[in-house]
Amino acid sequence: MTAHINLSQAGVLAKSLAASVTLLEPVARFSLRTGAAGQAKLSAALGLTLPTKVGQRTQAGQTEVLCLGPDEWMLHTSESLAGTILQACESVYADAPHSLTEISDREVTVRIEGPKASELLTLGCPRDLDKLPVGEARRTVFDGATIILWRDAAETYRIDVWRSFAPHLISLLQTGCGELAAE
Amino acid sequence: MLLIRCPYCEETLPEMEFTYAGEAHIVRPENPSDMSDEAWRDFLFIRSNVKGPHFERWRHSHGCARFFNAVRDTVSDRFLTTYKAGEPRPDLASLLSAAGQSESEK
Amino acid sequence: MTNFRVPGRGRVQHGKPVTFTFDSKTFRGLEGDTVASALLANGVHLMGRSFKYHRPRGPVSAGSEEPNALVGTRRGKGQFEPNTRATVQEIWNGLQVNSQNKYPSLKFDIGAVNDRAYMLFSAGFYYKTFMWPKSFWDKVYEPFIRSAAGLGVSPSEPDPDHYASRYLHTDVLVVGAGPAGLAAARSAASAGLRVTLVDENAEAGGTLLSEPQVEINGQPAWTWLASELAELEKLGVRIMTRTTAIGYYHQNMVGLCQKLTDHLKTPDAATPRERLWRVRAGQVILAQGALEKPLVFDGNDRPGVMLAGAAQTYLNRYGVRVGSRAVVATSHDSAWYAAFDLAEAGTFVEAIVDTRQEPRSDLVTEAKRRGITVLAGYTVTGTSGRLRVSSVRVNKVQNGKVLEAETLTCDCLLMCGGWTPSLHLFSHTKGSLQWDPEAQTFLPDRKTEDCQIAGAGRGLWGIEAALTDGRDMGAACAKALGKSPAVASVSVGNDRPGTGVSHTELPTDLNPGKARAFVDYQNDVTAKDLRLAVREGMRSIEHVKRYTTNGMATDQGKMSNINGLNIAADALGKPQPQVGLTTFRPPYTPTTFGALAGYHRGDHFEVTRKTPIDGWAEAHGAVFEPVSQWRRAWYFPKPGEDMEEAVSRECRATRASLGIFDASTLGKIEVVGPDAVEFMNRMYTNPWTKLAPGRTRYGLLLGDDGFIRDDGVIGRLTNDRFHITTTTGGAARVLNMMEDYLQTEWPDLKVWLTSTTEQWSTIALNGPNARNLLEPFVEGLDLSDEAFPHMSIAECTVAGFPSRLFRVSFTGELGFEVNVPARYGRALWEKLFEAGQKYDICPYGTETMHVLRAEKGYIIVGQDTDGTVTPYDAGQGWAVGKTKPDFVGKRGLARPDLAAEGRKQLVGLLTKDGKTKLEEGAQIVFDPNQPIPMKMVGHVTSSYHSVAAGRPIAMALVEGGYSRMGETVYIPMPFGTVEATITGTVFYDPEGERLKL
Repeated sequence: MTAHINLSQAGVLAKSLAASVTLLEPVARFSLRTGAAGQAKLSAALGLTLPTKVGQRTQAGQTEVLCLGPDEWMLHTSESLAGTILQACESVYADAPHSLTEISDREVTVRIEGPKASELLTLGCPRDLDKLPVGEARRTVFDGATIILWRDAAETYRIDVWRSFAPHLISLLQTGCGELAAE
Repeated sequence: MLLIRCPYCEETLPEMEFTYAGEAHIVRPENPSDMSDEAWRDFLFIRSNVKGPHFERWRHSHGCARFFNAVRDTVSDRFLTTYKAGEPRPDLASLLSAAGQSESEK
Repeated sequence: MTNFRVPGRGRVQHGKPVTFTFDSKTFRGLEGDTVASALLANGVHLMGRSFKYHRPRGPVSAGSEEPNALVGTRRGKGQFEPNTRATVQEIWNGLQVNSQNKYPSLKFDIGAVNDRAYMLFSAGFYYKTFMWPKSFWDKVYEPFIRSAAGLGVSPSEPDPDHYASRYLHTDVLVVGAGPAGLAAARSAASAGLRVTLVDENAEAGGTLLSEPQVEINGQPAWTWLASELAELEKLGVRIMTRTTAIGYYHQNMVGLCQKLTDHLKTPDAATPRERLWRVRAGQVILAQGALEKPLVFDGNDRPGVMLAGAAQTYLNRYGVRVGSRAVVATSHDSAWYAAFDLAEAGTFVEAIVDTRQEPRSDLVTEAKRRGITVLAGYTVTGTSGRLRVSSVRVNKVQNGKVLEAETLTCDCLLMCGGWTPSLHLFSHTKGSLQWDPEAQTFLPDRKTEDCQIAGAGRGLWGIEAALTDGRDMGAACAKALGKSPAVASVSVGNDRPGTGVSHTELPTDLNPGKARAFVDYQNDVTAKDLRLAVREGMRSIEHVKRYTTNGMATDQGKMSNINGLNIAADALGKPQPQVGLTTFRPPYTPTTFGALAGYHRGDHFEVTRKTPIDGWAEAHGAVFEPVSQWRRAWYFPKPGEDMEEAVSRECRATRASLGIFDASTLGKIEVVGPDAVEFMNRMYTNPWTKLAPGRTRYGLLLGDDGFIRDDGVIGRLTNDRFHITTTTGGAARVLNMMEDYLQTEWPDLKVWLTSTTEQWSTIALNGPNARNLLEPFVEGLDLSDEAFPHMSIAECTVAGFPSRLFRVSFTGELGFEVNVPARYGRALWEKLFEAGQKYDICPYGTETMHVLRAEKGYIIVGQDTDGTVTPYDAGQGWAVGKTKPDFVGKRGLARPDLAAEGRKQLVGLLTKDGKTKLEEGAQIVFDPNQPIPMKMVGHVTSSYHSVAAGRPIAMALVEGGYSRMGETVYIPMPFGTVEATITGTVFYDPEGERLKL
């Protein structure tokens, strides 16, 4: 049984000299899927360029797009812009068939920052984080749960994780914050 | 734990992100109903079970989520190559000679 | 008590005394001592009893290879560890240490009677003794083996410590921080690489800690060591001490176990006891050095008999003389230096006994200069002394003949039979070994991994050789990684290079059949046992190993393997490489389960997924059950209710008025794209083309083999958008299967899948008052039966929350499933629950859900099906679109066996007495009077007490069940045979009238 963690309350979940873990406010999230043919039209409709290399990100205003796979993108935007995104994609559906599915509530995001943020991630992530450039992101795994790991600065990360896995993941991050601070 | 190169992500990554998905190049017939019982049985169940280089599928399940193909030596557990789904079977002889070269450099 | 501490000597803190207890007696040591060094400083050699013969034993080594000095350590409540090596465990104030394998005391042990009866316990003893009579197994043999087996005592309390794990990526991993490892790390780090240097000891330095006389680049060894470590740290090298490389796996993955707190009296609460590191290295350098071999002679296990190198370490590193009167017996030059060091420190060296006829002349000169007697060309033929060696029997060997014995008095016998490169980790990689006839040992040969072996690990001897080789191997690794290392020259003074010869058991003038010449100390295997094994027909070294258990103890044969091989090869009359070496397996040293489990214990044992409504259920007293990774509310007992009472009440309340159920765990997949309907037609058995937007349908998913994989209600939202639901446990599997077909078989289809399981929180309302409750909350939708009939879907708002509303029933009652974005799930639930009070709304759990659906004959995939059940077997043939040209499983269903008569079919079962509830999983027979083993014709898949039916109901898979309606079947149970009648599977409202409210 994992500890109770209130996912409806954004704020600091753990903080130590090593790192802090913060649950972020909700954002609007969409999964966008389309084939090669539709990408240009969707880019134009969204007012940004869909990156085509797995792990690359682009940002236009409040909208961030991450390429997760050859035909898959994750869009984050402010909740007020969710309708705009839906309409923009809908307007090109006939010419650029795609799937746009809202998943705002499917996952939550925690931010990890601090001098040992990278080290903290090594508790559960088997990837070599030195090979994840700042400004990129990857879908990977953390202690058995699929996550999207965004590297925003050398020692600042975001983790998107499905809601029901969040308490498990957060409890390990909390343990790690204490453990790293004690070193 | 192996290292596997995902041909879509173009990165070599820990096995933990991947899931094995059976033998490769077994194509589902266009019209299964036209197939004999024996042919359908073979499609469903008969696998090569090789000792040595094996054509097999993996899925980058905790990554780009793509299924792809690989040639892995079932004796040494070494990957000779990985390639995208739908690409033709690579030539085994040239893979083996390339692998032999890198071995002898050790 | 004699004090064997040499003032000012070693790396221990002479000004910092530490007290600890050994078998409840208090001892004093120094900070920096191990249990072994501290006890030796107090003149104590007797530290344990051996495994099989309970012979008194003391430490033979000063490191992790120690086979004898195994102790139990207690650090606090629940913090007991058996089989700790006294040579490794560091002491601190208050540490409690106990000896093992003794009763009633270490000095007087009843089990030592085994030693007198040693003839009974020879090789293959178990195989020969415990053979007959069969009836002795339960009562005599097994209790005997169980009580005799095992080393030490298992801890009996839960372990209060916590453990950790991390991943580490490094360019170069160096295992062993002796001279070779230090030099390798320096080369690699100088090239700007990420370097990790690990050592199992409390401090880095390896051999340098035991050889302070060496001068490196003009500096004393320990001065050089300190500055070199500082330099490595400056270069960013991650140095980890008390860290053992336990296993070397594929593609340079090395497991490390780091001990963090066992050496501390009061560790920080946030610091784990141990941490497992999973290291991935570009290059690995194995610089593990070599292990000293004992000589094999009668009585070579008596306390006080130890390796010469160990004695040198106790003296130079810990400032402890292991005795005051030493005999040194050796076949290698290295032991001579140990003798010199001890003589210098005040131990009287009675003699140096060298098996070689002509030892190196400079060593002989040096010995004579010190007044030490040199006995060259001698053998050792015995020792005496009850709990400590008191004399050694030695004989001159001339032309292969063992001459008359001489007796040397001593309180310690220091032996050296040469050195074995530590190749355990290299062997984990399946790297091949090559026999070096000159060194009489195996050396690393063909590599399978990107690694280098440096220093004594590949047979090089001496500090200068190790430093030079380490430096070059580090540079080689850097070059392999495309870097150019800086390579400096090395000069070493006072080095002690040397050579030696290797032996089987030493020659003796006594009856070798009576010699207790131990090869494997921990498993009490003697040279005689090995020869007996060969005589009795063992030819492969693997068989010899298993028959004698040589090398099978927790020390993995670190000291015994080569001696064992030499003896077996001699007995077989074959050269060693033809006999071969047994396989070393991980872990290198014993590793705790805690370290392997890491964080995965207690609350964090595994992922526990909870729905947004879970907190409400917990607050309202729900009992939970695990369903795949989820925990789900099982039932909601009121005070005083047991499970059956609670479930009966929940069932009754739902059918009478209204039940509310958290269905959020249902898998959900959004299928979107112009080819969505085509995809649905191909995946599911059902036809989808004519399903209008706004309508739903029960979908059945098969594998291509024709067997049921999953099911669920699927709604069509628009022409191009479907909302699939799957079973809770099937969600990930179904999505994987669909992606597989889509990516690899039908990449041309313009349709995409997205998991929305956790986007939605799903609340099911069931019962005649379901609509009455829901209607006032709904905006944008007419909920009437005409406008929104059974099997409909719509988007609307419910209590102001955006919603996907299904009219669907898994209970047979009027039902709705409200999907709202997960964050609103709990708020909506609370609103509905509050408003539902006027309908006596009843929250129910998965058990009631199971009962209600079973009363209607709705199947649960995975409970009523088991992977060999077709839609026809399960009574779901109606869901198969027979006119579709193809779907996954269509061809499979036509396989002869799947279409054959007599398959097991899902039927209802009613027990004849109307009272007995069948057990799920119970086997069914047609004839209860047939002889055992009976022919089993099926099993019970679901069984409940049904309130609606007023009796127990069950479903079962029974051979030819459909054609056996009304027939009697029998369920043999331990308490007697139960009779039941085969019926249909619908036990309640067969016309489905209640769905149409």
